[in-house]
Order: sequence, then C-alpha cells, then structure tokens
Amino acid sequence: MSSNHDHAASGEATKRHKVEGPQKHIVGFVMSLALTIIAFAAVSAGEINATFTYIILVSMAVIQVFIQMAFWMHMKDRGHLFPIIGILAGVFVVFTMVVMALYWVWW
Amino acid sequence: MSAHDHVDGQLPHEPEKATLEARNKILGFWIFLGAETVLFGTLFSAFLALRHNIGDGPTANELFQLPLVFAATMILLTSSLTSVFAVQALHHHNKRAMIGWLVVTIVLGLGFLGLEIYEFIHYVHEGHGFTTSAFSSSFYTLVGFHGAHVAFGVVWIAIVIGQIFKKGLTVVTAPKVYISAIYWHFIDVVWVFIFTVVYLMGKVAG
Amino acid sequence: MAAHGHTVKRYSGLMDWLTTVDHKKIGILYLIAGLFFFLIGGLEAIVMRIQLMKPMNDVVSADTFNELLTMHGTTMIFLAAMPMLFALMNAVIPLQIGARDVAFPFLNSLGFWTFFFGGLLLNLSWFAGAVPDAGWTSYVPLAGPTYNSGHGVDYYVIGLQIAGIGTLLGGINFMATIINMRAPGLSFMRLPMFTWTIFITSALIVFAFPVLTVGLVALMFDRLFHANFFEVGNGGSSVLWEHIFWVFGHPEVYILILPAFGIISEVVSTFSRKRLFGYSSMVFATVLIAFLGFMVWAHHMFTTGLGPVANGLFSIATMLIAVPTGVKIFNWLFTLWGGSIRFTTANLFGIGFIPTFVMGGVTGVMLASAPADFQYHDSYFVVAHFHYVIVGGLIFGIFSGLHYWWPKMFGRMLNETLGKITFWTFFIGFHMTFFIQHFLGLLGMPRRVYTYLGGQGYDDMNFISTIGAFLMGVGTIAFLLNVFIAWAKPRNAAGDAWEDGRTLEWSIPSPPPEYNFQQTPLVRGYDAWWKEKMDGKTAMTPAEPIGSIHMPSPSILPLIMSIGLFIAGFGFMYDRLIVGGIGLAITLGCMVIRSLYDDHGFHIEPEDQEKGVHA
Repeated sequence: MSSNHDHAASGEATKRHKVEGPQKHIVGFVMSLALTIIAFAAVSAGEINATFTYIILVSMAVIQVFIQMAFWMHMKDRGHLFPIIGILAGVFVVFTMVVMALYWVWW
Repeated sequence: MSAHDHVDGQLPHEPEKATLEARNKILGFWIFLGAETVLFGTLFSAFLALRHNIGDGPTANELFQLPLVFAATMILLTSSLTSVFAVQALHHHNKRAMIGWLVVTIVLGLGFLGLEIYEFIHYVHEGHGFTTSAFSSSFYTLVGFHGAHVAFGVVWIAIVIGQIFKKGLTVVTAPKVYISAIYWHFIDVVWVFIFTVVYLMGKVAG
Repeated sequence: MAAHGHTVKRYSGLMDWLTTVDHKKIGILYLIAGLFFFLIGGLEAIVMRIQLMKPMNDVVSADTFNELLTMHGTTMIFLAAMPMLFALMNAVIPLQIGARDVAFPFLNSLGFWTFFFGGLLLNLSWFAGAVPDAGWTSYVPLAGPTYNSGHGVDYYVIGLQIAGIGTLLGGINFMATIINMRAPGLSFMRLPMFTWTIFITSALIVFAFPVLTVGLVALMFDRLFHANFFEVGNGGSSVLWEHIFWVFGHPEVYILILPAFGIISEVVSTFSRKRLFGYSSMVFATVLIAFLGFMVWAHHMFTTGLGPVANGLFSIATMLIAVPTGVKIFNWLFTLWGGSIRFTTANLFGIGFIPTFVMGGVTGVMLASAPADFQYHDSYFVVAHFHYVIVGGLIFGIFSGLHYWWPKMFGRMLNETLGKITFWTFFIGFHMTFFIQHFLGLLGMPRRVYTYLGGQGYDDMNFISTIGAFLMGVGTIAFLLNVFIAWAKPRNAAGDAWEDGRTLEWSIPSPPPEYNFQQTPLVRGYDAWWKEKMDGKTAMTPAEPIGSIHMPSPSILPLIMSIGLFIAGFGFMYDRLIVGGIGLAITLGCMVIRSLYDDHGFHIEPEDQEKGVHA
C-alpha cells in the first residue's frame, strides 16, 4: 500500500528502537487537510463544470481515505492481511450497491 | 524518533497485541468494520437513489452551508490526528500523554456533535424535517447514523479513559485504547465520504 | 461439573444453561431453539397444505393464509435453518480446528440470546393478533404504513432486526475464530471442508446482514416515524426496497446452502472411507460461489423492469454459478466412486442430497433465463425450485449433519433403524410434495394464493402434494422420537463414533470435556486424525505439555442484554418511547458493565482435567 514500509524488516523482538515518531502522522494530517481544502475549493469556486467537479471530489475522497487508512489505522503495518481483505470485500459490496442505486433507482 | 522515558520494562512495545485475546479482539473489530462499511454503504446507496426527490422541501443547494460543514470536517479530522497521537503515546507507554490526547479527542468529538445538532435544528427551521421528503429522510438517516456513531465513540472513549485511570496501562486496557482509536478513525473516514457525497456534491448539483 | 477451588462462580442446572459461554452448550441451545422454530414453521406449512388440499377449501381465511405464508417463510429461513446451522457450527468448528473455544465466547452467548429473543418477539405476533402478512420478502408498498397499518409488519421488522444482530455477531465470531484459533500446523489448505464453508458463510453473513439491517431500519422509520424511503407519494422508491432486500437476500441463500455443502463433503468422505475428491477445487468453488453470490441479486427482479441489458447480465452471472456448483457435485460423486460406502442415515441424507440438489440447481438455471422467467414468475414452479434447494439441499444437509455429529454433541448414538425411517419418509414425502409443484406452476397455478377454483387440472396434484407434506411431518416425528429414545440411553458413544472419522473432532471423547483438547494437537496434514490413524497412532501428537487450562467465566449479561433489546422492541412498536429507552438503557448498561469488570476467567488444573469434566 505504501513504499515506506519500515516495519516489514523488523522482527518481533528487535523493534524497540523502531518506535514511531509523530512526523508521519502529521504528514498524513497535512495531506488530508490539503485534499479536503482542494475539494471544498473546487465546489466554492463554482466555475468548473459539474462532471469534472464530481471527478475531483470523488478522487480527493478516495485518496484521503487511502492515506488515513494506511497511516492512522495502521493498515500498512504487517499483520493486516485480513483487515485489508475484510475492508476490500466490504468496499466491493458497497460498490455494487452504489452502482445499483445510481443506475437503476435514481437514473 | 521522540524520546520515550516512560517505558516501564513490563509492557511490550505494542501492548495492545500482547495476548491472543487482544489479537482476537483487534481482528474481530476489523471484521466488524467491514460490516460497518457495508452498513454505511447501504445508507449511502439509499441516499444517492433518493437525493433529488425533495418534494416540497428545500434543495440541497439552498440548504447546505459550506463554512459550517468545513468547520465540522476540520474538527473531526483533527480529532482523528489526536487519537492517533494517543495510540503513539500508548506505544511509548506514556500514560499521561495518552490520556491527554484522548481527552482532546473527546472534546473535539463533542464539538462536532454540537455543530451537527445546531445544523439539524437549523435545517428543520428551513422546512427540511425528517418526514418532509425521501431526500430529507435518507439525509437524516445517513448523517444521523454517523452522528450516533460519533456519540457512541465519545462515550466509549470516556469509559476507556476512566478505566486507564483506575487500572493503569496494562495488556488488558491497551487493546481498548487501540480499538477505540481504530473506531474513531473509521468514523472520520466515513465522514470524508459524507462531506464529499452529501454536502459538496449536493452543492454542485444545485 | 467438577468442583473447583476458584473464585469464579460456577452455576448448575438452569442457571448453567442461561449463563454458559461454552460453544458446545451454546450449540445445543441453538439446536433446541432451531428445532422448536422448525416445528412451528412446519406446522404452518401443514396448515397451508391442508387449506390447499382441495379447491375452494375454507380451513383458514385468506388473511390467515397470508399470515401463515409469511411466518412460514420467515421462521424457516431466519429462525429454523440458520440456528440449526449455527448449532452445528458451534458444536463442530472449534473441535475441527483444534481450539478450546471460539474467539469470543461472550459474544457467542450474546448472539444466541439475541437470536432467540428476536425470534420470540416475531412469533409473539400470533398472540398479539397482529401477524406479519406481507410475505417473507415484505415488499413495499404492501408492507408500508399505507397498506399495512396494523402492527403485523412491525413484528417482522423489529424481530428480524434483533435476531439479525445475533447472526452478525456469530459471523464475526466464527471468522475471527477460524483465522486466529487454528491448531499448530493447521494451515488454511488443510482445513476440513466444513470449516472452509463455515468460514465463507461467516464472511457472507458479515457482508450481507448489514444490508438487511439498513433495509429494516428504513422500513421501520417509514412505519413508525413516517419517513419516506419507500413512500412513493413523497419521493420514495419501492424498487429500492427490492434491491436492498435482494442484495442481502441472495447472499442469504448461499449463507444457507454453503454449510450444507460442507456437511455433505464431510459425511460423503467419511462414509466412503476416502479422502474428499478435489479438495482444492472444492475450496475454490466455495469462494467463487460466495463471490458470484453478491452479483446476481437482480435475478429475483427480472419482471421489475430493469431493462434488457441488466436482465441479460444478471442472467449470465446467475448461470455462471452453476459451474462451481457443478464442480462440487462431481467431486462428491468421485468421492463416492470406488469407496467402500456405508449407508448410515447420515450418508443416506448425504447421497439423497446430491440428486435432489441437482434438480433444484437445474430449475435454478431455467429460472435464470430472463425471458423464460417471465413465464415462471410468481407461479408454483418457483415454489418448487426454492424448496428443492432449501429443503432438498439445506434441510437434508442439516439432517445429515445432525445424525453424523449427534454422538459428538451428546455422547449418544441415534438409532439407525429409526434414522432410516426418518430418511425414507422425509425423502419420499419431500419429492411427493414438491416435484409435482413444478407442474402445477407450469400449468399456471400462482403462488401465495389461499385457494383455487376446481376443474383447472390443479386438484389431484395439490392433493398429492398435501399427502407428501404429511409424510414429511411423519419423518420429522420419527426424528424427534429418535432423539427422545437416545436421550434415555446411557452416554456410551466412542470418541471416534463412526470409526472412520477423519477430522480432529473424532480424536477426542464424545462429548468432549469442556476444554475440548487437554493438549492442543499438532496437525500434520489434511484429514489430521485419519493421517495419525493411518500411521498407527491412537492419539494426536500434542503440541504443548499438559498444563493449567484457561477458561472464560460464565455470564448472565448476554441474556439480560437480549431481554433489554426485546423490551426496547416492544416499546418502539407500541409508541412507548420511554419503555424503548429503558430497554436500550438495559442493553447499553450491560455493555458498560462488561467493559468495566474484566473477565479474568478461571483455570482448570491438570488434576481436575483427569476427572473428565464433561460438557
């Protein structure tokens, strides 16, 4: 999910010196902040056409969620195979349902 | 790397994963979050399907005010950061810092809830009641479900803080902090989609 | 119960059952409750068949028939079939993976009690005089407040909501158990087939039940608080309900049938004295069925008017499921092929399952063809189809599993003669009831009608169908008789009760001690116990020395939490919000108590283990 996978190499016993620092969380926060501001700005500007705005909004949201899950929910750490599978399966079901809602019920 | 003087030698680096029971809890909670994803996804689908059926009520564009939503978003985003700081303090076995960050998280959570309640009252005065239209019903259900999750999280984290005070930081209490933090991040992740899909797209659709 | 010098209070008698967190006892509770609801649902079916025995019959009124129809479907799916599956899951899964208990024993108990009180609430509707009557699918607007103003559908919505919490907890629990609690050496590709199917079923539960939860919440808001999700007059959409219901509902039928596949795999392989043919393809087929199961829901809605593109796509996706299912059928046949087959009752149900399920599958493919479906839709052909897959598939599987694992669950063998009477009456009765309904459907008899005019060619077939239903009733009574007779006998079943046991549960006494395995076994291959036996061993190789065993403490909280939800349900239903609040407060209060007071459990010391503490 992310390239700076610093925990991958460390064994169970030797990771005392690898205790996490606050930097990467602050980086995650700043990135989330930026993505949020872009999304709000795109709407407030109100001069971009609607379809393009939708694309911006959804991409910003998806990127932000990836960042938050990887950094803050520790999903990039080792031992998170089943959490990832679980969330992806949920997302798959949600995706089919959103398609359903947009395509057959609303449209 | 920040200094960690509070290591007491007894606790492992990740005390929340020290016992099988705790690892079970974390895994089980992730599976539960998978279920929650579907739960919110279904609410989103219902909202997406019904969002233009406004009946006699105001449109999304007339209703939503972006500054308020932006403020709520910032509060929740910051609270997610403070809760990850709490987990970091947990890994450093720094009990005082951890409790401090958890208290900040709760306060921000309460702030978010306050804004949401204010917002709902305001909407009702604008003629956007729960029973007004399919749009209003699905809006209040989706956003209200999220709000209820925030409220539940606030109470939960408060109870966890109480237990840390009473029992100290142990392999039994550590998973509680960790899991409640994961839950809190999840709530923030759901909110990212709510402000995007409900509020911002509502504004665009005009 | 052996005496203990520990601080944890241990209960006996009724309190033991109300507070138990032991998966084996919870399995038995699920079985008792499931059988109870199975009998209620069966009785409802028999009354309906009596009503339809002859044209223009008037045993029950049209309204009562609607209620019977709704309650039969709802009860059988949610309150009979699923709990009986949960009974087998609880009784067998921890044993098959060499675990001492499930991952969350407390949640396991909570899951049972919420299911039980949800089911109870639903069935109390008979006494309240307001019975759900909108079908088990509860389609709006029929189930909406405008056309169903009484409290009937409220019982459906709230009862299922509460029971659904229990099911979801069970799904999470068994997923976590199978991922985290496997014995050393038991990799995923060495898991017994039943464990695999339960793992996938649990995943389906986790991802399908929240959809139902939201659907029920929305319908509840419409009915109780005047929301407009499905109120077309205020912009709601009734098609949305159909989508939501079937996005849940179609995975639900795989939740039901996959465990039956697992049971049949175990039974057929044990009684052919052969390794299951094509194990990896079985696993792959199971996963594939589960995946496709989420993408075919709209085949229940071909006549809704989704358009030819959607109908075509869902048609193809549905037919695709026949491929992995076919893989499974052939694997069972090849497992039987050349085996030294023992025709025990369990195996008879297993072998009876195969052709019966194939017939249900074939009519399934027929129904999957969208243009043809317009003809079959809402006729008895559909009724025949889904009873072939649910009764001929699932219930045969459950009967097979119950006969197979009965000695492991209770330490007593069921009588084989009575068992064979059960099988033959039930099997013949089943085909008599439902085979002929295919033709009733093709002749044009609509489903869900309370009566029909004579002289349309329906009369004789309906009569035969009813006789078949009685025969199934006889089969069920023979099974109950068998249970009661076995109950009176001594507990003398051997650990490896069928002598050909292949999986870990047969390596320990019947019934197992409450800690299951005195020493966690070391698994050296697929069919772990069979492998040891073939190597001349009489016990599994232990993976740990004998030591003190940690056990979770019993708790009354799950029962109280479920009663809280039960009270809350009634409160909301009858607009007594204070009562509803009190009920929820009880439940939430119990959650707080559970969080505040750590459950340290207790230990069983080696000297106590020798006494053989039985469940």
